[in-house]
Amino acid sequence: MYKEKTEKGHQIKIVAFFCNWCTYTAADLAGVSRIKHAPNFRVIRVMCSGRVDPQFILDAFSKGADGVLIGGCHPGDCHYIEGNYKCLRRFQLFKKVVADLGIEADRLRLEWISASEGDKVRLVINDMVSKIQKLGPLDLPAKYKSWDSEMELLEKCVREQSNEIIKEEMEVISHG
Amino acid sequence: MIVDIESLRGLSMDTLYDSPEGRLIQSCIQCGTCAGTCPHGEYMAYPPRRIIKMMQHGLIDKVYASDSMLKCVNCYACMSKCPREIHLTEVLLQLVKEQTIIRLPSVPPELQKALENSYRYGNPMGESGRKRINWMKDLDFPIRILSQNPDPVDVLWFVESYPSYHPRGQDTARAIAKIMHRLEIDFAILGNEERSAGECGLLAWESGLAESLVDYNMAILTKYKFNRVMTSDPHALDAFNYRYKMYGFNLNATHNIPFIYEYFDKIKKMFTRSLHYSVTYHDSCCLGRHNGYYDQPRQILKAIPGIKLIEMVHNRENALCCGGGGGGMWLDTYYKSQNMERLSDIRVKEAIETGADILAVACPYEIPRFEDALKLAGYDKKMMVKDISELIVDSMGG
Amino acid sequence: MEKTNGQIRIGFYICHCGTNIASSVDVQKVTDFAATLPNVVVAKHYKYMCSDPGQDMIINDIKEQNLNRVVVAACSPFLHERTFRNATFQGGLNQFYFQMVNTREQNAWVHLDPLASTDKAIDLVRAAVQRVASHKPLEQKKVPIHPDVLVIGGGIAGIHAALTLGNAGKKVYLVEKEPTIGGHMAMFDKTFPTLDCAACILTPKMSAVKNHPNIKLCTYSEVEKIDGYVGNFKVTIKHKPRFIIDDLCVGCMDCVEACVYKEARFPDEFNQGLSRRKPVYMPFPQATPQLVLIDPETCIWFKSGKCKKTCVDACERKAVDLEQQARVEEVEVGSIVVATGFQPFDSKKISYYGYGNYPNVYTSLEVERLINASGPTQGVVVLRDGSHPKTIGIVHCVGSRDKNTNSWCSRVCCLYSVKLAHLLKEHTGAEIYNFYIDMRTPGKSMEEFYNRIAEEGMKFIRGRVADIYPDMSDPDHKKLIMKAEDTLIQEIIKVPVDMVVLSVGLEPRHDAQQVRRMLNISCSTEGFYIERHPKLAPVSTFTDGIFLAGCCQGPKDIPDTVAQAGAAAAEVLALIDRGFIELEPNTAFITEEECSGCKSCIHLCPYTAISFLEEKKKAFINEALCKGCGTCVAACPSGSIKQNLFDDEEIYSEIDGILNFDHISRELSYV
Repeated sequence: MYKEKTEKGHQIKIVAFFCNWCTYTAADLAGVSRIKHAPNFRVIRVMCSGRVDPQFILDAFSKGADGVLIGGCHPGDCHYIEGNYKCLRRFQLFKKVVADLGIEADRLRLEWISASEGDKVRLVINDMVSKIQKLGPLDLPAKYKSWDSEMELLEKCVREQSNEIIKEEMEVISHG
Repeated sequence: MIVDIESLRGLSMDTLYDSPEGRLIQSCIQCGTCAGTCPHGEYMAYPPRRIIKMMQHGLIDKVYASDSMLKCVNCYACMSKCPREIHLTEVLLQLVKEQTIIRLPSVPPELQKALENSYRYGNPMGESGRKRINWMKDLDFPIRILSQNPDPVDVLWFVESYPSYHPRGQDTARAIAKIMHRLEIDFAILGNEERSAGECGLLAWESGLAESLVDYNMAILTKYKFNRVMTSDPHALDAFNYRYKMYGFNLNATHNIPFIYEYFDKIKKMFTRSLHYSVTYHDSCCLGRHNGYYDQPRQILKAIPGIKLIEMVHNRENALCCGGGGGGMWLDTYYKSQNMERLSDIRVKEAIETGADILAVACPYEIPRFEDALKLAGYDKKMMVKDISELIVDSMGG
Repeated sequence: MEKTNGQIRIGFYICHCGTNIASSVDVQKVTDFAATLPNVVVAKHYKYMCSDPGQDMIINDIKEQNLNRVVVAACSPFLHERTFRNATFQGGLNQFYFQMVNTREQNAWVHLDPLASTDKAIDLVRAAVQRVASHKPLEQKKVPIHPDVLVIGGGIAGIHAALTLGNAGKKVYLVEKEPTIGGHMAMFDKTFPTLDCAACILTPKMSAVKNHPNIKLCTYSEVEKIDGYVGNFKVTIKHKPRFIIDDLCVGCMDCVEACVYKEARFPDEFNQGLSRRKPVYMPFPQATPQLVLIDPETCIWFKSGKCKKTCVDACERKAVDLEQQARVEEVEVGSIVVATGFQPFDSKKISYYGYGNYPNVYTSLEVERLINASGPTQGVVVLRDGSHPKTIGIVHCVGSRDKNTNSWCSRVCCLYSVKLAHLLKEHTGAEIYNFYIDMRTPGKSMEEFYNRIAEEGMKFIRGRVADIYPDMSDPDHKKLIMKAEDTLIQEIIKVPVDMVVLSVGLEPRHDAQQVRRMLNISCSTEGFYIERHPKLAPVSTFTDGIFLAGCCQGPKDIPDTVAQAGAAAAEVLALIDRGFIELEPNTAFITEEECSGCKSCIHLCPYTAISFLEEKKKAFINEALCKGCGTCVAACPSGSIKQNLFDDEEIYSEIDGILNFDHISRELSYV
């Protein structure tokens, strides 16, 4: 899995927000059970999936993440009663925002993984990695660069155009 | 219980251990359930448990040199009870069987003939391909044959060889045709173009033969447009669903019993005649253990007025095999030479024990096998073997 | 802090964990890398960071190198976060100036490529180093522990835990859903390996519970709801109606005698349905408490509203109350012992063993009752048709070690099968066959026990029974054939027997998930409750103040169950006697100047910890009620809610670190 890099040799990187009680514990269980899976994800532990601020997701994408995974407790099992529902509601809305930004749906995922589902960690991560590998890197920072240069070009054009206008007006004034 | 077909592609004894299947095999706890439940277990020098151990010790050649796998009738009993859920019948036994057959000094003549016939004539009996549609003659309605009218059709009925040629199989085929006709289903058959699906070739592991049949049938099937495939042979059902898929066949085939069951409410209303039989039903291995169709045939039987269903001692997942699968159909003489008791004889004893009037079946191999066994038991006057489809037609008033 | 002039000075340590981490992660490379990171003053690797020398290294470095932050890359924080926080504290720093990197469970153990593991470790170390810089000193909130304890389940585990706690002077509520305590052990005849009778050891403990001044016994009761948290749980207990007034009943059974049903005709639960009881009954003679009850499912009064109610008249003390209603009680406790036990595997799930189909197939629990002197047949082993078995086959591993049913080994079946073989032989003189896959006799004196019984002349057959069916050659078809491969002689054998005993495995109770949700604890894949750590915290759960004992945590025998119950009681005592517990300070708070008073956070809090201060038009979080999930933090549009330990700044710096994002160039290092 790890060696199957995309054409550019880029290493897919997924930022994962795992809730302390279910999914983080499940990832630990996968470890204790030695369930091997793709190494392309990096876990940030939060107490509850409800803590995952949409801005975290945007921030991760904008800083170069190829995917973002949120893991929480199954509905009805939240350690904090209903934080996962809050997360789900937010997620449903935010998915649309992410889609509008031109980020493919497979790059953002919410999964319910309970503390006993070590194998589900493997399934979800391997599946997500293989899907994103097919999509290739997202590389928003590089896009920023091209967006920046587009902006510069635009500004330049605007500047030149306005110079033209000023010139013309000056001519009109001087001829007048 | 059903193996991932993708993981089987290109699997051989040499590559087995590197596959997920091989790792599963390594988890064997040597409990002997497979050998204990195998209907021929007591006659095998190497039942599945010992095959696995021999494999681990690098002694598999001894297994190939024995005739143990010739005695495997592909009944899926070992696989369904294995506490490690090893895909014995689907994977390991087939691979070992192939190697066994390759090394046999001579293939038992009856089997040899059946394989040859299948290769040359497309059916194990060696009948002419032109006679494949003879069973239709007595019907009072026409059946569409795709080569004559290739328009798209809803249901393609793959009749298979036994229902096409065997006199009792033809009775079943006609019964199925009548049911389909009464249900007003848009269906057609391949007619003379059809050849044996090759499942028994596959499972008696003559893979060269099997592949030639698969190639042939695939080429025919791709010529026509249809929504569904139904077959009147559970072995063909397995061939389509677990083998043809490796060759690009992408429909889920069904068997006539689950197919008819889809129209259960409609067909129930057509049962007008009361039959006054006590019936015991023999689960076909492919239909039952491999595909889980235990309730559908029983529901249909129970819905027929006047029928009382009695179970044999071994039923459902624990049913005994008739001995016809995996090439067993053509190994009776060989088994006899090995002083083995015929499985169909054992099975009819259980059927007789129930005191039933009818032994109902859903697989075309079983009628000739059980009728013969009943004759041998001297009980053929008291018990009839009938396909469920025949009973349905009887209750519909013909 | 003064010594460092406000500079951040980080000490970084990576643990080899023997070879657990070091064989997959290049610890030298990670150390070298960490040394290049801003603010990192010390970067070291060591064989076992959690050992004394490892911790001392941190403590000394803090002092000598003026460190003010510590990062350790080792195992899961669930395992050693506390250890390293403590070392940080010992070095003279606030313990929350620490961050841990999970390099073992979520890295070394789950990836195959050492290069990838090392890369991953490097990313996470960068993240932790960036994160720890923004850590703040925090104080832990101390919560007083209510000294009362709730024990759920009145089997041997619950009984032993309750007695231990009661003897230590703690008030215990022991809640049992059945009408009597005793659990499965009360049904057993004798116990392995000593063959002492179960009742002789158990009944004195049962009556000790009943008479203990510190134990409040609530039988025929269920815990309905649990609110609160460690130290202060509010428990709702539902007392189901027995239709007998507890305080008035003396267990004389006059009402049973007087019941309009002259014959007992309903299956007796305690005897596994092998005998009959009346609608008014006592579960078994030694039932504790000694109270009768009326089963509304079978009582004619409850079913039809018509009955002479002879039971009511028969009771001189007027204890029968057919109008009795369920009663709900609320109690406060500081800690909970969960001892809800197991249920035996349902043999009907393995159809080819014929249980429920052939009358001569029994489960092991039924046989325990058949053998028992106070059982349905007074200890005479007779079959359902009244005959005496001459040959008996015992099937091991029924519903164990089988992926089709339960994949685990139930641990006790081999030994209880050997015990039943001995007892059955003693009672019947029958020929006994034990069909086993592997004989598993771990534990003190167990192998010796097996040895002793084997010498009695039992037949042991190494092979799993593949089929059981009636012997057609037997005139009545009563004999059963047990078919198996004897794998040691490599032959298929068919043994005709009169009686089959299915040694059923242990599985989680059908309501385990429901109870788990109520308690907010976790189940393993199998459905048994998960302990916090199998070796380091074997009776704790991930929820503070809730402890496990007995088979609800996994199959075990009576000695281990009692030992575990004692351990759970000891953990509870440690908690109570300390008097308080320190909570993770991960609570949320509001920076008032930034709060716009939009109220969007208020309804989000499931604990109603957030209120609105009308006079200030600001939200307010009651820290005592806040559990620290952070949902409100994520939702606050003005960013005015902060969460200790999981502050936005801390999480953003983790994201930066993971992605190696450089704010100045706005580029990634690999681009």
